[in-house]
Amino acid sequence: MSSEVINTKRAKQEAAGPYGKVGHALNELDDRLGVAKGGRSFLDKIFPDHWSFMLGEIALYSFLVLLVTGVFLTLYYVPSSAIVTYHGPYLPLVGQKVTQAYASTVNLSFSVRAGLLMRQMHHWACDIFVGALVVHMARIFFTGAFRKPRELNWTIGVTLLTLAIANGFLGYSLPDDLVSGTGIRIAYSIMLSIPLVGTYLAFFVFGGNFPGTAIIPRFFILHVLIVPLVILGLVGAHLALLVRQKHTQFPGPGREENNVVGSPMFPVFMAKTTGYLFGVSGVIALLGAFAQINPIWQFGPYDAARISYAVQPDWYMGFLDGALRIFPAWSFMGFGHTIPLEVTIPAVIFPGLLFGLAYAWPALERRVTGDHAIHHLLDRPSLRPKRTAAGVAVLALLSALFIASSTDVIANFFHISLNTVLWAMRVIVIVSPFVAYPITYKICKELQGVHGAGKRKTPNLVVRTDEGEYLAEPTPAYPEDVHQELEPTPVPTFIEEPEPESAAPGVRVVER
Amino acid sequence: MRRPPLVRLSLAAVAAAFALGPLALFAGAAGAAPGPFQTTRHNAGTPNSSQVTRNASGQIISYGNKWITYNAPSSALTQLGEALYMENCASCHGTKANGVPAAGTVGAYPNLVGLGPATIDFWVVSGRMPAADPTSVQAPRRQPRLTPTQAEAIAAWVNSLSPSYPYIPDPHLKRANVATGMALFALNCAACHTIEGDGDALAYSTFAPSLRNIPAYQVAEAIRTGPANMPRFTGNLSDQQVNDIVAYVTKYIQHPQNPGGFGLGQLGPVAEGFVALVIGVGLLALIAYWIGERA
Repeated sequence: MSSEVINTKRAKQEAAGPYGKVGHALNELDDRLGVAKGGRSFLDKIFPDHWSFMLGEIALYSFLVLLVTGVFLTLYYVPSSAIVTYHGPYLPLVGQKVTQAYASTVNLSFSVRAGLLMRQMHHWACDIFVGALVVHMARIFFTGAFRKPRELNWTIGVTLLTLAIANGFLGYSLPDDLVSGTGIRIAYSIMLSIPLVGTYLAFFVFGGNFPGTAIIPRFFILHVLIVPLVILGLVGAHLALLVRQKHTQFPGPGREENNVVGSPMFPVFMAKTTGYLFGVSGVIALLGAFAQINPIWQFGPYDAARISYAVQPDWYMGFLDGALRIFPAWSFMGFGHTIPLEVTIPAVIFPGLLFGLAYAWPALERRVTGDHAIHHLLDRPSLRPKRTAAGVAVLALLSALFIASSTDVIANFFHISLNTVLWAMRVIVIVSPFVAYPITYKICKELQGVHGAGKRKTPNLVVRTDEGEYLAEPTPAYPEDVHQELEPTPVPTFIEEPEPESAAPGVRVVER
Repeated sequence: MRRPPLVRLSLAAVAAAFALGPLALFAGAAGAAPGPFQTTRHNAGTPNSSQVTRNASGQIISYGNKWITYNAPSSALTQLGEALYMENCASCHGTKANGVPAAGTVGAYPNLVGLGPATIDFWVVSGRMPAADPTSVQAPRRQPRLTPTQAEAIAAWVNSLSPSYPYIPDPHLKRANVATGMALFALNCAACHTIEGDGDALAYSTFAPSLRNIPAYQVAEAIRTGPANMPRFTGNLSDQQVNDIVAYVTKYIQHPQNPGGFGLGQLGPVAEGFVALVIGVGLLALIAYWIGERA
């Protein structure tokens, strides 16, 4: 009879201890690894609730989607330039001699269950990943979140963007189709255009002259292992620094330099961010299912003798393509060397200066403003009109260059001469930052004078007095907008910290 | 170092011989060619083909092979064609179809004599002629003003002035190999028309038109006659190859297999980037705005 008593539910619960089975397991874990102490502070980490703080998460979660879909793709993709005869369901390719890289990409699109969906999701996730990085970077820049003590994290972020763009290009090149092959050819020419070392560098990277057979396997291992590993490591460092240094926040009632106001990691932020993870993967999955991207079967295999007109790179390389298109045909010849300035300046020097400026910006701003103080409160962009205007000027320049990468599309759509469009874009690219700067500066100055800018709007209440007079009065602020200073609640501690015993002089006792 | 004059002279003579030799050969070859718009190559759009049909008076009314048949415009239409020509074309090209004021002078409209029926038919039936704006750099494809029969009639009359080739092609698409067609399209056509056949702007207001919604025989006409800036593909493409290209264009360029969702206008990475930034990042930022704090 006694065995029946033990088998009741209540008896089982009592046997498992006061925190149930899960709690018991966690206790076991804590006894061995001591996770409770770190976990406690991690679960209590405060995340500000402002929506713009979630932009970086788009990048994080699309990177996660990239990893998952990318692993799927590597199971079917063959990184080889060996020539095979295509046999498969797409008739116009049947019997054509193509590389194994191309054949396997077409096969995984047509003959592998969910292969095309995975490939399209991977490509969309990449476009969104880089886009989110740029938007996130813009938020950091315009609110001054890169200032001391967060310069190192800014540097990591710029490196992440560079690596993301580079890895996007590498992945775009892997199918070895007509369009991406043209891109590799341009990359080869850009390497060649570097003065003095260009030829050596290009031959080193390609293992000889273009196109060769080495480049696909090399790009593959860079794309799937080396660069993602570096990105993963840097993302870890980025987030670790974020936790270590704590979040910035917009100034407001109760929001000071020495606190962070927001929701704790558990349960509020965790629920929110998990939902956001599903949102990001959902949007990417919908795009992958319903919007076609990079239909390589229509492009056909790459062959150095073939070219298609109207070929553009993915959007994040567009500004480089635009710069190459509109730059005049200058070159330097002398001392037994030719330097093709029409390639070197727009495709090597310009991006070098651009990313150099991005890396150097925190130091430059410290030097110009003489501000060496530690900042945890963010700037409203309108309160720093010069920085905001400079950022908008650079974005305007890049946007103009991006538009310049589709001169032919514009000319064809509007039925105007391609040469006119080319010259117009040359003017627009040079003029745009100089127009954007003063306009942004002026708008910032105007916004500074607006009452209640950046605050939640409340309706005006119109009342009629007994005399028939109408009066408009602002309604009181929403109760959730009113700041209330609460009594701090002590965090319950479950960890008993023993007092360190006094030791002999010279012997240091370290707490476990 | 200054060389003695005699040495320099002999060097110059050798150099001149090297430079002029191929030119002389080229001139000889050009002189041997049958005419400016004809080629001797077999199966390349001329009566030098396997099947030639003649009428009672010995005139060739069709020629070709199992891939493309080239048909002369019906001679019964010649009289109608003359009337239509005088009404629609003569004001620019002249009553003798030789251009006005004189062929070859500046400001003249093109001489049509000897261009071949396929050329005349293509320009009229695609709506490019009669030109809406004779001063435009390149006539665009428009809703045709004349019916296909009327276009054939005009071609018949112009051809009656001086019989010439190519005739109007009739490709036999069932015998075509679309894989060869795709490879040849990528090699010969994609550089201007784009690999997806959308066409695009070329320098100085010229353009490569879109290849969508064009009947097969007109695609073959364009390849064989080279309208406007397009090269004439005669010697380097056989009838079999032209037939393959036409089949690829009419089957796959005009009706692309689009697994993977909406084709995004076949515009490529520009449209894709727009969708990724506006719909992808934009939608996600809106979701963030929805679940986050706004002020």
